[in-house]
Amino acid sequence: MGAVGEAIRRRRSDLRSGLTGRALDVGLYVLILAFLFLLGTRVIEHGPDYLLQIFFFALANGAIYALIALGYTMVYGIIELINFAHGDVFAFGAFASASLIPLFGLSEGQVWGPFTILQLLAVFVVTMLLCAVLNVSIERIAYRPLRHAPRLAPLITAIGMSFFLEGAMFLWKGPSSVHYPDVLPDLSFTILGARVGVKEITVWITTIVLVVGLALFIDRSRLGKAMRATAQDRDAAQLMGIDIDRTIAATFFIGAVLAGAGGIMYGLSYNTAVFDLGFSAGLVAFTAAVFGGIGNIYGAAIGGLVLGLIRTFWDGYFDSAWSDVVIFAILIMVLVFRPTGILGMRVPEK
Amino acid sequence: MTLGGPLLTLGTHAGARSYGGQDPQKTPKLGGRTPLSKRFIRGLGLLLAGTFLAAACAQGGGAGGDKGEIIIATNFPTSGADRASGRGPEAGANYAVQTAATVKGFKLSVKNYDDAVNGVHDPQKGAQNFTDMVNNSKILGVVGPFNSNVARATIPVANKANLVMISPSNTNECLTQDFPYCDPKPAALRDASQPNNYFRIAAPDTVQGPAMADFAIDTLKITKIAVWSDNETFGKGVADNFAKRFTSKGGTVVVRQDFDTKTTSDFKPFLQRAKDAGAAGIYAGATSATKGCIPRAQSKGILDVPYLGPDGIGDSQCVKDAGDQATDKMYFTNAAADASQDASNKDLIDAFKKAFPQKDDSGAYTFPGYDCAKILIDAIGRAIDAAGGNMPTRKQVLQAVQDTKNLKLSTGTYSFDKNGDPTSATMAFYQYKPSKSDWDFVKQFGVGQ
Repeated sequence: MGAVGEAIRRRRSDLRSGLTGRALDVGLYVLILAFLFLLGTRVIEHGPDYLLQIFFFALANGAIYALIALGYTMVYGIIELINFAHGDVFAFGAFASASLIPLFGLSEGQVWGPFTILQLLAVFVVTMLLCAVLNVSIERIAYRPLRHAPRLAPLITAIGMSFFLEGAMFLWKGPSSVHYPDVLPDLSFTILGARVGVKEITVWITTIVLVVGLALFIDRSRLGKAMRATAQDRDAAQLMGIDIDRTIAATFFIGAVLAGAGGIMYGLSYNTAVFDLGFSAGLVAFTAAVFGGIGNIYGAAIGGLVLGLIRTFWDGYFDSAWSDVVIFAILIMVLVFRPTGILGMRVPEK
Repeated sequence: MTLGGPLLTLGTHAGARSYGGQDPQKTPKLGGRTPLSKRFIRGLGLLLAGTFLAAACAQGGGAGGDKGEIIIATNFPTSGADRASGRGPEAGANYAVQTAATVKGFKLSVKNYDDAVNGVHDPQKGAQNFTDMVNNSKILGVVGPFNSNVARATIPVANKANLVMISPSNTNECLTQDFPYCDPKPAALRDASQPNNYFRIAAPDTVQGPAMADFAIDTLKITKIAVWSDNETFGKGVADNFAKRFTSKGGTVVVRQDFDTKTTSDFKPFLQRAKDAGAAGIYAGATSATKGCIPRAQSKGILDVPYLGPDGIGDSQCVKDAGDQATDKMYFTNAAADASQDASNKDLIDAFKKAFPQKDDSGAYTFPGYDCAKILIDAIGRAIDAAGGNMPTRKQVLQAVQDTKNLKLSTGTYSFDKNGDPTSATMAFYQYKPSKSDWDFVKQFGVGQ
């Protein structure tokens, strides 16, 4: 009797939440349609060439967000920690590469040849490794000892690490913005009336290579499998003989490699970096990760791309002063209507 | 100087010679005066002597002008790192007083105050200095302060005592004009029952935008422009004022954007939009600290048009941020007129350099400081006339400064409006010169409010 009553109640509540869910979904679609309509009128006003140009900028902007967001989502997926220091690892990538560029013999406005590409590749590799070492050290010092502590403790050490890194970078390069050398050649192609510079192409190609590589790594490799297993059930994975510490360290390593690449591309694209860059960029990237469904790698990539599109389109067609308002309003709406993000959590709740 | 010295001097001064005008042979000007007025003058002299005794100040009387001594005070940050800013106008003002030496029979001297604490200008120290000046009745006017926040702290002190002050360098518009965003309001700095005592010869920040609009249209022949700002009080203010004047002069602002520069560094959509709308120039209502010149670096390959801004972008940080786009297409406005640009000032500048040869004596604000002292000396002269040739009151000096009309000096021709702002301030324009790796003077002209 009791069991039957319980089942009926549950059925009813399921039905109700399903209905509300559908109503909320409809509301979300109406809002999106209204926005697209508004955007559409502006797009027609400015013409197709401009649209394509803004789209190219947006893709590059979104790609950088995506690279940072991946690090947030991977770490969250595996140890359910929001690594607040991740944005600062990204900023460190921008700072470190700004110093490495002259060290590797590159300078602003130089002539390009095959050897220059190698030099730039070397900057990429060294920066990514430096970021990786930094992030793994952060994990070893500030998170691993607290793995079994109450959840708030590692959250606080993460915030502490973020401020520590910002402070260190402040001491290193000072309070003003640092000019990032514009080393990429000033070449561009015209596609359907829109200009695509080497900067944009570099960002796209690097991001595609890194994201596809990451997907393959997680899907196919042994370590990737171990990461998935650890994310699913840490204790069971340990019982199966997976080295948890090593797997988690590898996750931080890979996340930082992506953030480091993001830092370089940020510098190459915008030619500037400042010590507290990681805070704002990290916040947007974290938003992107939640937007896509935190813990979900494809979600983070898509989330970053979508936020980049929203920001750049807003800057291009509406009033820039409202960009942050719009981005975070969208975040709130998405979370209210779809608490698990666009793609939802791939990682089962424990 | 010891306390006893000047007191003693003052005593003899007042007693033995009994303050100018007493002896007709010594001061022929007053020869025709009636005994009644003589008695009055003697009374005034004694009164003044009494005030001096009460004030017990450290300034020496000594022999000089026959009628007594008038002191002009200066208040600048002149120690530590801020000496680079403050010593120039101090030296300029001192030179003006030294060369004048006397005014209508009164000996002129100068007393310098330093408002720097640990090398940085300090509003508290400024207020202390002004309290000291107020208590010294020989001080009839002040040249300074250098910094707007020091002015904010010192105007109330001087205002209560009707002590006139003229700043060569304050640009904050809220010191004189009431805008909704001003905090404190200019009225809060002043006693409503007292006349305005604060004057300046630097153009307030509100003039920079319109001045650059004039320059863009008249000199650079730009008719379409894109304007952005950092959305801060200063940046948005200059950008709005720029846009207003640019439009009223027949130009078109084709794109107008405000950025939160703390969270974004991506100006490419803005630049693309400017290009799309046919902008022939960009105005940045920002400072180097709010990414003022980063759009210039990003404009590479998008649009290479003149990049204009206020004095906030006129520094080396801006040049660094612009990277290889730091070209001769970058311009900024500066409220300090450059005296050396006027050929008729050559003798003055040479003579000044001979008298004040130190490196930090000559700075951007040396001659603005000189001019402030000249305005004060001119006003004191008229105030003495207004007082019938006697020691004028501070109120009379203040009134005389307010009444200054078209006084031609080394950095401009000055009159003041009722707020104490110059009716026509000189605005200088600078352009970046890659060959010199520095900003270079282009031209300057007087701009109305």
